[in-house]
Amino acid sequence: MDPAPTISTEGLSRRFGELVAVDGIDLRVAPGQFFGFLGPNGAGKSTTIKMLTGLLAPTAGSIEILGLDLRKNSVEVKRQIGVVPEGMALFGRLTGSEFLNFAGRMYGLDRETAAQRSVELLDFMQLADQPKKLVTDYSHGMQKKLALAAAVIHGPKVLFLDEPFEGVDAIAAGTLKAMLQGMIARGATIFLTSHVLEIVERLCSHVAIINRGRLVARGSLEELRAGVAGIAPVASGEFPDNKLSDALPSTEKMTLEQIFLRVVGGERRNDQELSWLG
Amino acid sequence: MQSSYQLSAIAWLRWRLFVNSLRSARGQLELLSRILVSVAFIVGGIGGASLMGVVAYFLLSAGKPGMLALPLWGISFFWQAFPIMATAFTNNPDSSDLLRFPLSYGSYFLMRMTYGAFDPATFLGCLWSIGILFGLTFAKPMLFPWALLVLLAFVAFNLLFMQMIFAWVERWLAQRRTREIMGVLFVLLMLSFQLIGPLTGRFGRRPQPQMQRFIEILAPVQRILPPGLAADAIVQGIYPQWPAALSSLALLCGFCMIVGYGLHVRLLAQYRGENLSEVVAVSSLPRDRRLRLGWNLPVLTPPMTAVFEKEVRYLLRSGPMLITLVMPIFILFIFRFGPANTARHSSGFLAHTPNLAFPIAAAYTLLTLTNLVYNIFGGDANGIQFFYACPVRFRKIVLAKNLTHSLILFVETIVAWIAVTFLYGRPALDITIATVAGLLFAAPLNFALGNLLSIYSPKRVDYSKFGRQRASQMTVLFSLALQFVIVGVGVSVFLLARYLGNFWIAALALLVLAGISFLVYGLALKRIDALMLNRRETLMAELCRA
Repeated sequence: MDPAPTISTEGLSRRFGELVAVDGIDLRVAPGQFFGFLGPNGAGKSTTIKMLTGLLAPTAGSIEILGLDLRKNSVEVKRQIGVVPEGMALFGRLTGSEFLNFAGRMYGLDRETAAQRSVELLDFMQLADQPKKLVTDYSHGMQKKLALAAAVIHGPKVLFLDEPFEGVDAIAAGTLKAMLQGMIARGATIFLTSHVLEIVERLCSHVAIINRGRLVARGSLEELRAGVAGIAPVASGEFPDNKLSDALPSTEKMTLEQIFLRVVGGERRNDQELSWLG
Repeated sequence: MQSSYQLSAIAWLRWRLFVNSLRSARGQLELLSRILVSVAFIVGGIGGASLMGVVAYFLLSAGKPGMLALPLWGISFFWQAFPIMATAFTNNPDSSDLLRFPLSYGSYFLMRMTYGAFDPATFLGCLWSIGILFGLTFAKPMLFPWALLVLLAFVAFNLLFMQMIFAWVERWLAQRRTREIMGVLFVLLMLSFQLIGPLTGRFGRRPQPQMQRFIEILAPVQRILPPGLAADAIVQGIYPQWPAALSSLALLCGFCMIVGYGLHVRLLAQYRGENLSEVVAVSSLPRDRRLRLGWNLPVLTPPMTAVFEKEVRYLLRSGPMLITLVMPIFILFIFRFGPANTARHSSGFLAHTPNLAFPIAAAYTLLTLTNLVYNIFGGDANGIQFFYACPVRFRKIVLAKNLTHSLILFVETIVAWIAVTFLYGRPALDITIATVAGLLFAAPLNFALGNLLSIYSPKRVDYSKFGRQRASQMTVLFSLALQFVIVGVGVSVFLLARYLGNFWIAALALLVLAGISFLVYGLALKRIDALMLNRRETLMAELCRA
């Protein structure tokens, strides 16, 4: 029997006026999974992650995190999760240390623990060099690292990350990956969205793909490869010569990027050239 | 051609931003509020312009053109002081985002000047100057072209000067060292006001001719400053003594060029991509592994203490906000040692009713908190997402923020009491208690409405910027309405107590009212969590925008 899912949604939908950003999504993320949530721009990834973390109200459907209904037990759920949303949720006019201290206490840590973990996290994230620097003066990558530090300071059981590797240099990305894998090893569940498919492929055990608000694929990479075998590639850009039989790799060797393009149909019109570009 | 094309593109951009803002109900309400506020300014502007016109006409008709300097000094003082005292109405847009485009420096300068002109102080200053022009023209029609020329130079000076002050003050407040120097200069300025009193008092005790002589000494000093120069140029044009008139106008233009240059230095630095952040080279500092404990306030829960600490840190790092907060004391000094008050001849209102100095100072203290109280999430910007993501009820977060504001009010009230004691004599016990009761009545009502408006009409603000951010006009309108009600009630109670000769009656009545306003505050606070959840999209859309 499957264990109770850590994240579970049923018929999750969100409309913005006429636009259906998320359309009846059913998600199941098991405990300890490193779950990648993929989709093209505007597919509904960030909207979904916002709904899962209580930053946005769903129009319809239900969300359960760790077996608790998010709508009814939002405070209890928030106590056990960590979030790095799209806007990073930072307080610009605090120093990094002050912000982490603040975050720790807001998540219920005592002063000593919050201070101790702040020091450790700043050191781990290589942000301890400039203690008096305000967050607003941090580079984008530094802000990402700080936002992640704040999201994990209370040791959450579930971590939601919206594009955690965007704007982060290779060294820092390595540090973050090591930290996230360590969390998974200790039993945490991680739900992340990313456009860097190589990283998702390397880190995530399970993946779901959303396109135009609908879930179009989900499962482990092997399951996706098996499932995608029956789908003809729509992407003319993927195989410009249209010699499909030559260009198509066998499904066992398909990368996540190829699966992704096959599933969402990465249409690109080759006949349109921006000839005025230098 | 290129510059005018870019400027028209920017004007189009702002127009589209305005039109698009009307798509939401909040945007429409904002427009309605702006119209109402503008009507109030237009009425004030036309009223003031009529008065200025009558004064100018009278001075010329009565053969006292030399006194024209007085209304011009008044206009100049208002033009420069109003944007600092009423920052909610001030809008000096941040144009640094536009620097990514191939904008010439000339266009950048012109754009800053153009948008700086859309400001109530500039609008009123211009209207009042037009009033003077009409007054002068009615009295002496032939003077029109010359007066127009001089007043144009006068308006240009004030516009450039205001922009220059904002640009430089922002520069000085941006870094700790310059901030400290500015703080010292500010204290020295306040101390210098103390010298005016004894000085004028010294002359006040002397026979009238000597006082006259003192004014005669001061008159040439003001005459070489812009408002005096403008007045002098007009006066010389009446007689007409053109060499003197032209030299006064030339000097006035010289002042324009000096302040224009001051502004140019600042804008050029901004144009070239100046960065004022206080960043220290990484290699110069050792790694920081010290344990820094957060504050511990036993009366508050840990999350509330954390919010309280964060609010105080934000405030202490905001030079512009600190300047606003010291204004009540500054105003008290001006009232006490300003030219209207000498040791013998005190013509100021407070000089006749010193027992009302403390209530007035306390009321003004509360008013200076308006920017903070009515936009409690404005400075948090993206941090609002953190509040939504963390496991703390919003009523606790809001309560902690209100407690911070209460602490500021408490400290400021004490400072005001000390200042009043020093300047006007110690306020009587019954007055003091009645004033505190008045604050207990007014503050919770302001906090309650402020919390609601912070949710319904949030506005992202950067505490480090000076005078660049206009408050939501809806908030301005509602807060003004509440202030009218509160001040109306407070003044009525105080006048009644004064009439009955017993301020304890006022204290008692205000304490009863305070009980009611605490009840209102409590009821509003209970609704906060539900409102915050209902309004989360609006809040995040407004506060997290880049």
